[in-house]
Parts: sequence; structure tokens; C-alpha cells
Amino acid sequence: MATLLQQLASGLVLGALIALIALGYTMVYGIIQLINFAHGEVFMVSIFAAAATYKWFIPESWENTWQIALPCMLVGAVLVAVVLAVLMERFAYRPLRNAPRLAPLITALGVSQMLKEIVRLNYPDAKSAINVPRAFIDEPIIITVPGGTVVLQATSVLLIAVSIVGAVILQLYVSRSRMGRAMRATAQDPDTAKLMGVNPNRTIVFTFALGGLLAAVAGVLYGIHLNTVDTEVGFLYGIFAFTAAVLGGVGSIKGAVIGGFIIGVVKTLGGQLLPGGTGYDVVWVFILLILVLVFRPQGLFGEPERVRA
Amino acid sequence: MTIPPGWPILGLGLLYIAIAVAVVLALRLLWQRSAKALADKPGMLRPIAIAGGVLAVLAALLPWVTFRFNDGPYPDLATLQFFDEPWGVTGFRLFVLLLGVVAIAAPFLPVPARRVERAIGLGLIALGLVNTIFPLISGGGFGAITAADGAFAFGGVATLVAGWVVATSAKAGPLEPLPHWNPKVPRLLAYAVLVVSYVVLLLVVAWMLDAGTDPDGNTNTYAGPIFLSLLSFLGAALGALHAFGFLGWLTALSERHRVFSIGVLVVCALALPFTDAGTDYWMTIAVNVGVYAATAIGLNIVVGLAGLLDLGYIAFLGIGAYIAANFSGAAASALHVELPFVLVAVIAAIVAGIFGAIVGSPTLRVRGDYLAIVTLAFGEIFRKAAQFNIGGMTGGANAIPNIPPINWFGRDFSAPLTIGSVRLPSGVLYYVLIMVLVALVMVIFANLKNSRIGRAWIAVREDEDAARAMGIKTGQVKILAFLIGAMLAGLAGAVFAHKTSTVAYNSFQFIESVTLLAAVILGGMGSIPGAVLGAALLLVLPEKLRDLQDWRLFFFGLALVVIMRFRPQGLMPDRHRRAELADEGADGVPIEELNVPDAPDGSTAQAVAR
Amino acid sequence: MTALLEVQNLTVAYGAIEAVRDVSFTVDEGQIVSLIGSNGAGKTTTLRTISGLLRPKSGKILFAGESIDSLEAHVILQRGIAHCPEGRRLFGRMTVEENLQLGAYVRRDTGVEADMNRVYELFPVLGERRHNKAGLFSGGEQQMLAIGRAMMSRPRLLMLDEPSMGLSPIMTQRIFDTIRELQSQGTTILLVEQNALAALALSDHGYVIDLGRTSLDGPGHELLADERVRAAYLGEN
Repeated sequence: MATLLQQLASGLVLGALIALIALGYTMVYGIIQLINFAHGEVFMVSIFAAAATYKWFIPESWENTWQIALPCMLVGAVLVAVVLAVLMERFAYRPLRNAPRLAPLITALGVSQMLKEIVRLNYPDAKSAINVPRAFIDEPIIITVPGGTVVLQATSVLLIAVSIVGAVILQLYVSRSRMGRAMRATAQDPDTAKLMGVNPNRTIVFTFALGGLLAAVAGVLYGIHLNTVDTEVGFLYGIFAFTAAVLGGVGSIKGAVIGGFIIGVVKTLGGQLLPGGTGYDVVWVFILLILVLVFRPQGLFGEPERVRA
Repeated sequence: MTIPPGWPILGLGLLYIAIAVAVVLALRLLWQRSAKALADKPGMLRPIAIAGGVLAVLAALLPWVTFRFNDGPYPDLATLQFFDEPWGVTGFRLFVLLLGVVAIAAPFLPVPARRVERAIGLGLIALGLVNTIFPLISGGGFGAITAADGAFAFGGVATLVAGWVVATSAKAGPLEPLPHWNPKVPRLLAYAVLVVSYVVLLLVVAWMLDAGTDPDGNTNTYAGPIFLSLLSFLGAALGALHAFGFLGWLTALSERHRVFSIGVLVVCALALPFTDAGTDYWMTIAVNVGVYAATAIGLNIVVGLAGLLDLGYIAFLGIGAYIAANFSGAAASALHVELPFVLVAVIAAIVAGIFGAIVGSPTLRVRGDYLAIVTLAFGEIFRKAAQFNIGGMTGGANAIPNIPPINWFGRDFSAPLTIGSVRLPSGVLYYVLIMVLVALVMVIFANLKNSRIGRAWIAVREDEDAARAMGIKTGQVKILAFLIGAMLAGLAGAVFAHKTSTVAYNSFQFIESVTLLAAVILGGMGSIPGAVLGAALLLVLPEKLRDLQDWRLFFFGLALVVIMRFRPQGLMPDRHRRAELADEGADGVPIEELNVPDAPDGSTAQAVAR
Repeated sequence: MTALLEVQNLTVAYGAIEAVRDVSFTVDEGQIVSLIGSNGAGKTTTLRTISGLLRPKSGKILFAGESIDSLEAHVILQRGIAHCPEGRRLFGRMTVEENLQLGAYVRRDTGVEADMNRVYELFPVLGERRHNKAGLFSGGEQQMLAIGRAMMSRPRLLMLDEPSMGLSPIMTQRIFDTIRELQSQGTTILLVEQNALAALALSDHGYVIDLGRTSLDGPGHELLADERVRAAYLGEN
């Protein structure tokens, strides 16, 4: 029982990470129907950016003060991720906005490959995994349950809390603010949004930036939670996050978060309980992805696609 | 407080980026200005082209890069040859000289001069870039390109400027229409032209493969730039031939005499082992090219014809390879049975086809981008299953090693072959086998494409709902595309297993699926020769550019982005497809497109069409 | 009276196909001007080009004396042209109120609330159901909302594309009454209609667009009396 709960907890932590990344996917797909494959790489780059900030930009005397180190890492990661997301939109995707559907998807594959290679070849020692410092250290929380204890790292709690609070803020922002309305309008009908005076380019770039910001938050949390990163995480987490976004219903913020948690739990528990062992945990996620796409492509919370009258 | 060590790195990086952006913006501005100024002055073509051409000739004769680094000069004859041996110009400088002469001559000849000048100008720029950047980054620094042995050596810079000037001259007025040559010529003449053209093609390919190889067969240090120089020159030459109307004519000829030209092409391909490129090394690469080409053609059915994006295609090659490995009698295989290769190949194709149908079945309900993700998921599931040795069939992390070579009539396919007194490299039999296979696959593809089912695929690609409304059973048609495509890949996989002798799960990563897709896109979706060309380029380029080996995957990504941006129809576009890619989505013209004052030929149509 | 909108020799092409060829017309301040013509004549393309969704191949569009044909759609709206598109194109998944707020997207002044109330006064049914999703309304109600939404930007020129499409005769009458009322409040109106009879009856000036060209023009009542118009568009022989 305790083991199971412990597994569940780590599944939820993974899910929280995936949820934060999935928000970027879901927003971008919602607005320009692009599977931004490179979004996973933005997440990956932001982890490296956080590590670099810690290593090179924080004076030694402050390195162990998480109240300073953590915000600094966050700023570094967010800056890099947002700039990257904006450049990507501007130079890779925008010129293809009226091209056939395959073109931007293939471009996204290319961009993601480029980002991965740039980091792998240029970041010192990034050809294998590098360390991310444990910037946030606090007492683990130990919960006694029947048959043992469940140990929660402070970072685990932080992760789950941040992802839920972040999603709530995002939901409020998108439903209440002027920019949020512009985003939803552009997603529903870009031409008519233009007729309302919405600048589509600014709205789309903003959406990318917002996705980058959330990916960077996820990146910093990933780094301080797992303390290690390699250039492959972008692809894997990108797929997980995309699965979560689809599972929850593309375009739905609530869906992305719940989808994220479901994926996290499926992967962790699937690796434990289903035949094949931990090696197959990814496979269960992929099977779930296929099943969802085939049988409920609109996801759990998405509205079925309607043909415009 | 000391400055954290990160700042200088950041500062320098930002400075470089700023400089690069400034240069690019300045050049673009200059280009647009000159294009605007020249747009209605066709008379300016001659003076500008001649100036550029003369500059190119001078640049060729200048002492180029005489900086000596590593153990040798680059290139080996880089001295003040203008004075002591003006005709001794060789290598890339000969190319510059030739292009310069053509640039001067073109405006006086009855050819579409602006088109020719554009091709030449771009070729010169490429040559200049390659031969300036290489010495610069291989340790020469700026000294390597500016001054050498006390003499000024601005050859590279001069070539760049010359290329720029020549390309600018093409902006004097709109591009001429392509000349059209009548392909209805006497049969014998047509045959002669085709034979000569294909033989020249074979020699050029051999020359390219052999470029940068020393007489002793070793690749020399400068193989990369030598190869790229040759490529730039050939690109310019092809561009000029195209401008001349020759390529279009040749294409028309080979289409009129299709059977004959395919025959000649196959013979030429089989003759490759007899050329300078007939080494063990190139045979191995060529077999890999063949395997990828056959698979890419299979993928081309799915993506190019039926319009279904598959991001896990390498799995079918893998399935074919594992099947062949298991029936090969290899010690590590699960079955310990040895069947004749032909039978194995058929089994591999059938099993891969069955899996293709399974992977394709979601297409009944899933469309577009989502389908891409489903296939990606299947591909990853396959890789994981292989990694964890599912059913004991894959050897897991240990792979299946020591697969015996194909053995027909007591002849070992991996051994060298001697015909008369000519000793052909080892692997040549595999080469012959895969070439025959590729030819077969090409024929299958061509026939499918022009058949009822081919038209159904194209209809599904264009508008699935309309296709269904017209009575096409879209579900069956789509699954059939996957089935046939996967069979071709499985067939290629069977050869692959025997040739490499080891089948390991990490040969089938996601990036390999992207490579296949890139081959299809680079060549041109739906185009048969395109897929072969794409596969060849993607496998040969990294071999020739060893210096950039590390950056292979980066350039790969960059290539995908650049192609999609500037030439989405690929290098050898399918005729019908070309028209489609030019005018898809005809609602509204994006603003950026129209502000371009005078886009080059194809893109103008594109801009207006959009 | 001065010309608020002047379209001169406008040509718009989709690829090689010219949907609008050499169309010219003028809308004077305070007028209702209608463009009539059969299906596919290029009326909608003309409006979409004026509002910046499409780019002209050649020709000029002047608004209040300034050229606007190279501006982007959202800038053109800010200059004072609102476009109520064909088929209404409401944001169906948003509420009435959100649709109106989007109509006022470019405004930063404090009068938005008051203007919204004015729309609710004009169309009480919208006010009653202001928190309902726009997609749930009937065709006529949706048209009201579309017009209200377009008015929220306080345009100098309101362009209406087929406002009567798919509406019952009573509802059509209601919409046309509203258009007249908007005019009396000082808004200039450019109307595109297939319902030529109703449109011309309402208009100060009308233009007939035929196969992408302006073929006839004149004051609304004169066009109504014109035999050719009657034969071609009003179904009389």
C-alpha cells in the first residue's frame, strides 16, 4: 500500500511537470493548429539555461541561499525560453502560416533537431547528462500511511503546487484579460479576430512566449527536482506533454493539467503494475495516446470538432 | 564583487549575433535597393555582368589562400600563378575562372542571360563562401584569406563580391521565360542524347564521390571543401543548363522514351563500381543509400501520394530486418532456421506489410497532424519492444549479431568479385542486388501512381471528403497505402540485415524516421527520382563532410527548415505536385509576400497565388 | 458631402483568377451605399479587400482621403472601418458580452460599457442573455449581435456583408430598420446584398457588380426602376 502510494506520488510529480509543458502545446495548437514539436526542446533548453545561470551568473556567496538562487535561475530560464519561443515563431513558423499543413509540422521537427544539437554541441559536457544543482533544499515531508511511510521531497510538493496554481492563473488570464480574449478569438476564427482589430501576429507571438514561460518554469523545477539533465529529455517530455494535451482536449487548459496528471500516473504505475517492467512504462503512455486519438480525438474536455456552417 | 564568469561569454555571443544580424540586414537592404533600381533597366545587364565576370576571372588568378596550415598548403597550387603559370589554375579556382568567363559571355549569346547570370552568381557566392570560411575556421584566421606570404590574397573575398555583382545583374529586368525545346526529335538522336547525358551523369557522380580522395585512396584533409566547391560549381552549371532549356528538354525526352531511359539509367548505376568510386567504402555507402531509397519510396507512397504523414516509418525497415535476421540462421536469432534469401525477403515484406496495415488502421478515424503523432507512437513502441527483446526475437540490447551474408549459388555476397581481369570491390553484389531492388521499387511506384489506386490516393490527399463522396473507399485506400509502403520498407530491411550483419534496436530511432521523411521532402513529395536523390544526398553528404560530422544532425534540422521555407516542393518536384504546392490555400495574400518587390520566378507565382 | 471611401479601379486575384476586376465606387459621408450583384460577382471579395483581409492586385482604396490598401486589417479597423462579415462569423464559444468586448478591442476609452448598454437597448434579447454563448442564438439574433459587435468599435464606416442571409422576411425587415437607424445616428454604411430589392430601397446610392466589374450605378430608387436591374436581380422579365 505504501509503495503504491509512493508510486502514485511520484506519478503526480511527473504529471505536474508534464502539465506545465502541455499548457504550451495546447495553447499554441489551439491558436494556430501547429504541433510545435520544438516546444519540448524549449523545455530542455530552459533546464540548461537554469543550470548555466546557477553555474556562471550567481556569485558563490549566494549559491546556497535558495531564496536568491531559485529566482535567479527562474529569470535566466524564462528569458532564454521566451526569447527562443519568440524567435522560433517569428523566423520558422510565421513565414509558413499560409503554407500547406505539413510544412510547419516538418519545420517544427527541424527546429527541434537544431535546438537539441546546438545544446548538445555547445554546452560544456552536454554530450552526456550534466548536473543541475540542488538549489532548493528543505526537509522532506514524511507521511505515515498504513504499512509504511510515503516520503515527499520538498521539490515534489513545490512542483505540484506550482503547476496547479500556474494553470489556475493562466485560466483566469485567458478568460478574463483583453489579451486572453484576443487569443481565444484568434483561435476560433483568425480572420474575424482581425476584423475586431486584433493583431494576429502579436497575439500568436504572445502565445508562444507564454508557452515558453511555462516551459521554463517546468524546466527549473525539473532541474532542481531531478538534479540532472540531458538533451534527450526534450523529445520524451515533449511527446508526453503532447499526449497530455490531446488527452485533455487540445485548447483546454483544465484538460492539459488533468491530462498531464493522468499521463504521469499511467507512466509510473504502468511501469510498476503492468507486465514488462519499468522499461515498458513509455509504451503504456504511447498506447494510451493511440487509443485516445483513435477513440476520442477531441479529448476528455475538448469540444468535438464542428464544421462551420 | 567579482564579475561572474558567465557575462563575458554572454557578451561575446550577443556581439557575434548582433554582427551577423547587422550584416544580413545590410545585405538584404542593398539587394532590395539594387533590385528596385535595376528592375526596369535591362540595358544594365551587360555592364554589370561583365564587371562581375571580370572580377571573378581576376579572383581566380589572384593568389588565393596561400596560408599553410596543418601539413600542406590549401589548395596545393595556390601561388601567384597569374604571373608564372596563368593556365595552371586548377581545382576550385578553375571553377571560378570558368564561371567568370561564362558570366562575361552570357549577355552576348542568344540565351536567357538573366537566368544564366543568376545561376552563375549564386554558384560563385557558394564557391567563395566555402573557400573563405574553410581556411578561416580551420586555424588560419583572417590572415589566411587576406594576406599570404607577404602578397595580398583576397581571392575569396573577391569571388564573393564577384558572385554578388553577377547575381545582381540578373535583377536587371524580369527573368526571361524558360526556352522550350521541342522533344519530338528523331528516335536515334533522342537515344544518343539520353545515353550521353546519363553517362555524363554517372561520371559526374563518380567524380563527386571521389573528390578529395588522394591517389592512394585515402581521404585527404581538404575533402570537405573540395567536395563542396565541386558541388557549388555543378550547381551553377546545372542552373545554367536549366536556364538554357536543356534540362527541361532532357526531362521531356526521358519521359517520352521512358523504358529506354530507365534501362540506360539502370545500366549506368550498375557501372558505378567500375569507376573511381568503386571502392569497398563507397559500395557500403551505396548499399545504404539503396536501402534508404527503397524505404523512402515506400514512405513516398504514404506521404507523397496519399498525403498521410508517417513519423515512425523506420519501424517497417526494422521489422523487415529482424525477420531476415531471424531466418538467417544467425546464432543469436530465436528461430535457428535458415531460409533462402528470396523467401526471407518475401516473408519480411509480408510481415512488414501486415504491420503497416495495423499502423495504418487508425487512419480510418484519425487525420492530419494527429495521424503523424499516432505513427510516431507506433514507431517508439516498436523501438521499445525491440530494446526489451520482445518474444526473444530482437536480441534486445545485445542485438542480433553475426548475420551471415546472402549466399546464392555458393557465392558469398560480401566477397569481392573478379570479372575477367577487373577486380570489383567487396559488397558489389549487394550493390547490384539493391540497385535492382530500387529499380523494381521505382517501377512499382510509377505504375501504382498512374493506376486507379494511385489516383485514389491523390484524391484522398487532396480532399478526403470529396474523394469519399465520389465513391472512393477512403479507408481501404489509405490502409493499402500503408500496407504497400511498409512492404517496400520490409524488403529493403531484409537486405539491410544481411549487409550490415548486425540488427540492433538503436538503428531504428526516431531520427531515422525523420531522415526518411527528409529524403522524401528534399527530393520532392510524390517524385520517384526525388526520393532516391534525397536518400543519396542525406547519406553521402555526411560522408563527404567529415569535418562537420558532429553537426550532421544540426544541419539536418536546418535543412528541413530551409527547404520548407524556400523550396517546399523539393529539388525534383513531381510535376503535378509542383502546381499544388504553389497555390494551396487561396484565401488572402499574406502581407509579407507582396512587399517583396520582385521575387524570383517561382516565388512570384507563389506569392500571387497565395 | 465628401467621399468617405473611394475605391478606384480595384482588382483582386486569387492566383490567376481575378475575382474583382476594375471595380470603382464611392461612398459619401452619411450615406447608405449598396453593392448588389449575383452570387460570385466579387462583392464579398471587395469588402474583404477594403478591410485588409485580402490584398488588391492593383487599384486604390482611399478612406477619408488617405490610402489604406497597404494597411493591415487591425489598423484599418482603428482608422474607422468596421466589417460585419458574411455569415456573421460570431465567436460561437464566447458569450454575447465577450463578443461585444472583442468588438471594442481596439478602444481604450471608458465609454465601452455605455456603448454595450446601447447595444442591449437596441436589441433587448441580447441584453437578457448576455452571458449565454453566442453560438446558441438564432440566425436573426446572431445577426443583431454581429451588427452590435461591429458598432462597438465606433466606426465611421460600417460594412455589412449579406446581413439578410438566411433570415425570415420579418427578421430581414428588422435588420434593415436597424441599418437605417444606424445611419440616422451618423454612421456611413456600405451594404452588400443579394436581396437587391430591399437593399436598393434603403440606399442613397447603389452599384451593380457583375462578373467582377461595376456595370451600373445610380441612386437607389433609380436603379430599382432600371429595367436591366429588374430583369437581372429582381426576377422580372
